[in-house]
Amino acid sequence: MSRISKIQLVGALFVSTLSLHAQFSIDGHPFQAHAFLSQGFVSSDQNNFLTMKTSGGSFAMTDAGVNLSTQIGDKLRVGAQFYTSNVGELGRWHPQLDWAVVDYRFRDWFGIRGGKVKTSLGLYNDTQDMGFLHTWALLPQSIYPLDLRDATISHEGADIYGEVSLRKAGSVSYTAYGGMSRDSKYSGYYFSAVDTVPFKDVRRSLYGADVRWTTPVAGLMLGGSYMHQRMGIDGTLAGTGGLYFRIDTDPPLRIAAGYADYSRGKLHLAGEYRKHYEILTYASPFYIMKGNEFGDQGFFVSAAYRLSHWLEMGAYNSRYYVNAPQDPSPGATHIFDQAVTARFDVTKHWHVKVEGHFMDGYGDTYSAHGFYPASNPQGLKPSTNMLVIRTGFNL
Amino acid sequence: MKKLKHVAFGILLACAAQWLRAADVKVIANSSVKVTSISADDLKRVFLATKTSLEDGSHVEPVLEKGGAAHTQFLKEYLGKTEAALDMYFRSLVFTGKGAMPKILAGDAEVAAYVAKTKGAIGYVSAGTAVADAKILEVK
Repeated sequence: MSRISKIQLVGALFVSTLSLHAQFSIDGHPFQAHAFLSQGFVSSDQNNFLTMKTSGGSFAMTDAGVNLSTQIGDKLRVGAQFYTSNVGELGRWHPQLDWAVVDYRFRDWFGIRGGKVKTSLGLYNDTQDMGFLHTWALLPQSIYPLDLRDATISHEGADIYGEVSLRKAGSVSYTAYGGMSRDSKYSGYYFSAVDTVPFKDVRRSLYGADVRWTTPVAGLMLGGSYMHQRMGIDGTLAGTGGLYFRIDTDPPLRIAAGYADYSRGKLHLAGEYRKHYEILTYASPFYIMKGNEFGDQGFFVSAAYRLSHWLEMGAYNSRYYVNAPQDPSPGATHIFDQAVTARFDVTKHWHVKVEGHFMDGYGDTYSAHGFYPASNPQGLKPSTNMLVIRTGFNL
Repeated sequence: MKKLKHVAFGILLACAAQWLRAADVKVIANSSVKVTSISADDLKRVFLATKTSLEDGSHVEPVLEKGGAAHTQFLKEYLGKTEAALDMYFRSLVFTGKGAMPKILAGDAEVAAYVAKTKGAIGYVSAGTAVADAKILEVK
């Protein structure tokens, strides 16, 4: 499908959803249809970011989603969402089934949802594509790297979930899950290896849990997440005529996160810490290398204040640390990002965000977090200042 | 002694103001809902769609107003959320496949009529709204 026809398809899907009422009935059966669309412009003074040519200003930042769901009886709900994006070299308008679930809630404290399910991990993993839900034009990239979303965004499998009241101590909600996932060929890990070991397949089997406590302190929620993931990558060695290259996590990769969210009136505070650790085995016809340790950690703290019904101002500090970078340069050990944002809610369904980023460092090549040597052939510079303007619609 | 009287009078005024605020909104339910009262905690969980049945086992469905004084008062008094925050909350459920938008109706009269005819429906209306065919729930 040509690029123009893909854009037309996205437009047609969005407009057709707009033409529907969000809630409607077919033969007396209730359905809900919802959609979102966002367009960004990014300009940076030094490095190109997220595979876009941001140093010259780039509009290559679009994403959209459309969903349809229905409730069948009191306990059963089914639905699906399609998603497409084009961010520089990522996404490339390739439509994907974002989620498709059958959800049966036996009790308030116990339900099962199966199919392709958005993964509960940290504060924003499952909502990271929906810019209209967040103050920020770009979520803190230390924890939610847009280029690596496929690594955790969803799984084909099942969740069990529920909420238990603790009476005066608040309530606890939980999600436990297991399943498999596959990265899109247009995702960051594929792009990071395109010149060295082009990947053919990146697959994951995983399980994990997320627990969040709505505390008795009004507006305060605390949570924690854990994910256990076995990853396998098949590729070829560049320049060898197709000799295989394989990467496995052994033992499985682990991700742990702790987070807090406080919302009171016009003030919204949030913070999250996440740690990731893995040991990789590389195998090719020439060698097997075991015990390659990789790890990184990051955190962010954010504050936002709604000045009026149409204006919210906010700032965050996001810090990403690489434990043992392959690149010896000082900039490879970290990415520190200070961001300031103004969000304008033009209407209930249309927003515009203007955001400044002041970044130090560019991280390591094995886990790019936005800065890729392939999109910065002149070499990565130690700091980057960046302007992001993003507008979005939803209904 | 005089100071103590002032403090006592202040507390009395605060209590009266609180009572008057709570009295601006009444919570109503379809006659299929067996309970006559509901705790503030359960009411909040019903309207955040994390509780779908009450102690008597009856399935419940929250009904919200689109706007207006009763709506604003209810959100502030019982949910502790602004209208924008509540909208974001439901949108996060809808766009992740983990929930659906609740029924939202234009005002008191529509909510009262819908609750009266819909099994399991729970809503809220201004204190002065006539709700002959629905029951009023006491919030404890």
